[in-house]
Amino acid sequence: MAQIGPRLDENVHFVKESLGYSNDIVIRELVLDSREPVRAAILYTDGMVDSHMVQGVLINSLLYKTRFKEIELEREEDLVPFLKDAVLTVGDIGDVNNFPELFTAMLSGCVIILIDGYEKAMAIGLQEWKDRGVTEPTAQTVIRGPREGFTESLRTNITLLRRRIASEKMWVETRRIGEVTKTEIAVVYIKGLVEEGVIEEVRNRLDRIDVDGLMESGMIEELIQDAAYTPFPTISNSERPDVVAANLLEGRVAIIVDGTPFVLTVPSLFVEFFHSAEDYYQRADFSTLIRMLRFVSFFIALLAPSLYIAITTFHQEMLPTQLLISLAAQREGVPFPALVEALLMEIAFEILREAGIRMPRAVGQAISVVGTLVIGQAAVEAGIVSAAMVIVVSITAISSFIFPAINMSIPVRILRFPLMILAASFGIYGIIVGVLGLVLHLCSLRSFGVPYMSTFAPFSFKEQRDAILRAPRWMMDKRPESITKRNMRRQSPNLKPKPPEH
Amino acid sequence: MKVIKVLLCLTLVFLLGGCWNRKELNDLAICVGIGIDKVKTGYSVSVQVVDPAEVAANKGKPGRAPVTLFTMSGATVFEALRKMTTISPRKIYMSHTRMLILGEELAREGIAPVLDFVSRDHEFRTDFYIAVARGTTAHNILKVITPLEQIPANELFASLETSSKAWAPTAAITLDQLIADLTNKGKQAVLTGIKLTGSPEEGDQRENVEQIDSNVLLQYTTLAAFRGDKLIGWLNEKDSKAYNYITGNVKSTASLPCKGGGRLTMEIMKSNSKVKAILKNGKPEIMVDIHLENDIGEVQCKIDLTKMETIEEIQKEAEKGMVATGMRAVTYAKQHEVDIFGFGDVIHRQYPKVWKQLEKNWNKEFAKLPVHIKAEVKIRRLGTINNAFKEK
Repeated sequence: MAQIGPRLDENVHFVKESLGYSNDIVIRELVLDSREPVRAAILYTDGMVDSHMVQGVLINSLLYKTRFKEIELEREEDLVPFLKDAVLTVGDIGDVNNFPELFTAMLSGCVIILIDGYEKAMAIGLQEWKDRGVTEPTAQTVIRGPREGFTESLRTNITLLRRRIASEKMWVETRRIGEVTKTEIAVVYIKGLVEEGVIEEVRNRLDRIDVDGLMESGMIEELIQDAAYTPFPTISNSERPDVVAANLLEGRVAIIVDGTPFVLTVPSLFVEFFHSAEDYYQRADFSTLIRMLRFVSFFIALLAPSLYIAITTFHQEMLPTQLLISLAAQREGVPFPALVEALLMEIAFEILREAGIRMPRAVGQAISVVGTLVIGQAAVEAGIVSAAMVIVVSITAISSFIFPAINMSIPVRILRFPLMILAASFGIYGIIVGVLGLVLHLCSLRSFGVPYMSTFAPFSFKEQRDAILRAPRWMMDKRPESITKRNMRRQSPNLKPKPPEH
Repeated sequence: MKVIKVLLCLTLVFLLGGCWNRKELNDLAICVGIGIDKVKTGYSVSVQVVDPAEVAANKGKPGRAPVTLFTMSGATVFEALRKMTTISPRKIYMSHTRMLILGEELAREGIAPVLDFVSRDHEFRTDFYIAVARGTTAHNILKVITPLEQIPANELFASLETSSKAWAPTAAITLDQLIADLTNKGKQAVLTGIKLTGSPEEGDQRENVEQIDSNVLLQYTTLAAFRGDKLIGWLNEKDSKAYNYITGNVKSTASLPCKGGGRLTMEIMKSNSKVKAILKNGKPEIMVDIHLENDIGEVQCKIDLTKMETIEEIQKEAEKGMVATGMRAVTYAKQHEVDIFGFGDVIHRQYPKVWKQLEKNWNKEFAKLPVHIKAEVKIRRLGTINNAFKEK
């Protein structure tokens, strides 16, 4: 029975039965004291509603405040509109037309009012539940900048964004995804800045998702990203409202998922994963240098072990003689070829790193990096690996921690290994082929229609202001044109600070 | 499915490739110096190989010698090197060679056959220097332990490089330069000589460097002149200096006698030499123009450097001395009919038609070639004091 019938007791019984007589569903039956007493029922999920409001305001207004007897109603059907117009002293009232909608609303924290004789119900939004509260984001910390992070509640997250963007142009569209979980997600964008094609594509892809349950935004990410088989992330996520707000201002679309503090932003470019929020709050020159450091670390983390293996086994003529002699001295007595040494150390490091995440907070951080160095040192003294290899592996590992966005360190960690194998088989030629393949792959990626390597390929001179460099604030007067071509101006071009005229 | 096929192909490629020509670091015998001598059966090749464990930066006390010398003879150099694997535990790796020493006997017979191997082999780089062992064999030169520098070949390399810049009579010649000179009809090759001060048997011992005053040292001497690829004679010190002045690669000292006894030494800061050919009655003549900018280095006589006239006098004396030295060197070269200065090259560049006629008999023509040397010396600075304090 999908439609709400006119008989209250049948409806209530249906609800109870469908929910398996769950004991957190509260059904309060009451009588509206009008000319002819009308039975009504109030249904809600205990734990998801503001009980004080339900009891003190809603039920109060229906039972006490309103003198139904004194009210003349012309026709019977006028009762529900009358309740809405004049009786219910609550803010958010909606209509429920059938049972699926009723269940969705009730189990999301709305209070349902069923009235005998009416084939519709009302859903009143009085949600309140225990939230984690707005705390400092743990995954993305900055030294200077706001310390608010998103929470698991959709409403709070949207509020955090609204507080930062007070424009009426910030539009929020919600939909529910997941047959069983019916998770609410919100698509947020600034109308007039975002490209219509992108927002249309986002809607299409979200509507295409047909899953039972949606736990985290990561699931949505996997289902709507452009390329299926790539280790590189094409959708960025953030726990910080200021980052998401800044992205919205550049013409991107944010997808907020109820139940997780990580908000997705599309479209995302390769360079974005090297940007941290702090880059924009600290001074431009410092930020530029730090960004360059990050790019250099990217190459170190990806290529250092491979280059070491390739040069010391194939291209010894490239080393200066003194360095060659030092390295040769270290390798005396080491039983394994360079590749095996490298793989052993790298895998040991990965094991320690992964284990460090699960260890109790106090111990975990220290163990992963320092522990590997200690184990490496012991291995060197035992003569199993050479000291230079420990150094290379440690530098690689530390470099891979430098990314502000963890989802970029994942492809680097993965791709290290195939590159090492290529280096050990074919020397620098193998590395060149591997890197070439990687570049081809990266250039073929798109993020919601925008080429993934956008500021570098196709090269845009104007956008270099915010790629590896971070131009001073007064120079950044145009939006990045790869994301949106509408309304390019974002600040006046005449903002350069000057000493006073006199 | 396509991915699986691609991966399968790749795996097969990796297995077939067999890791190309991979060499682990501890499979290498790093050669830093190679010496070639002539013997009855062909060539005797001596290879100075580094023992990395002994030379490493964090080594405790020295045990074995920092380098090892492997010597083997064969009909060709290539054969000798391959035969060397019977005494060496690893295959010799040539890329880091710093010095190639040729025995004097071999040089007199002709160095071109030996150089073919060195230039053809893909492992050799071109940044090493070549020298001739004077009065001894290359084997003996490579046997000596040197003070201050653990790897003797490094010492030879560094010493040649520095001395060719700071003390004119030596020249640091690399392989491509040497081959260019050998193939160029307009210039003959020169190489620096090394001699051993002391006995080679003593030089081999660690005691040689355990005392403050080492008995056996490797010393660079003057240049050897080649006709074709055969060594024909040694220049003396002054002539070697002149060679470097004329070819324009010197930055060193020049010393003069002063009036009234004593010597004045100048340090050359900038030197520039221009060699030009002019035609007189259809016959070429060479004009050499040497410009020097000097600082006063050491004054051991009684002169007053604060007067402009003194400076000009010194300059004129230096110019005369330079011209005289240059002419002597040119005379020596003409006597032996070897154009080591490259005058033929200059004529070839400026008057190719004339050169074509002279080419065939160039060595004889060179003996008759008129050469005029002009020098210009300017004294720029006097150091940090004006006159010698002993003057008063």
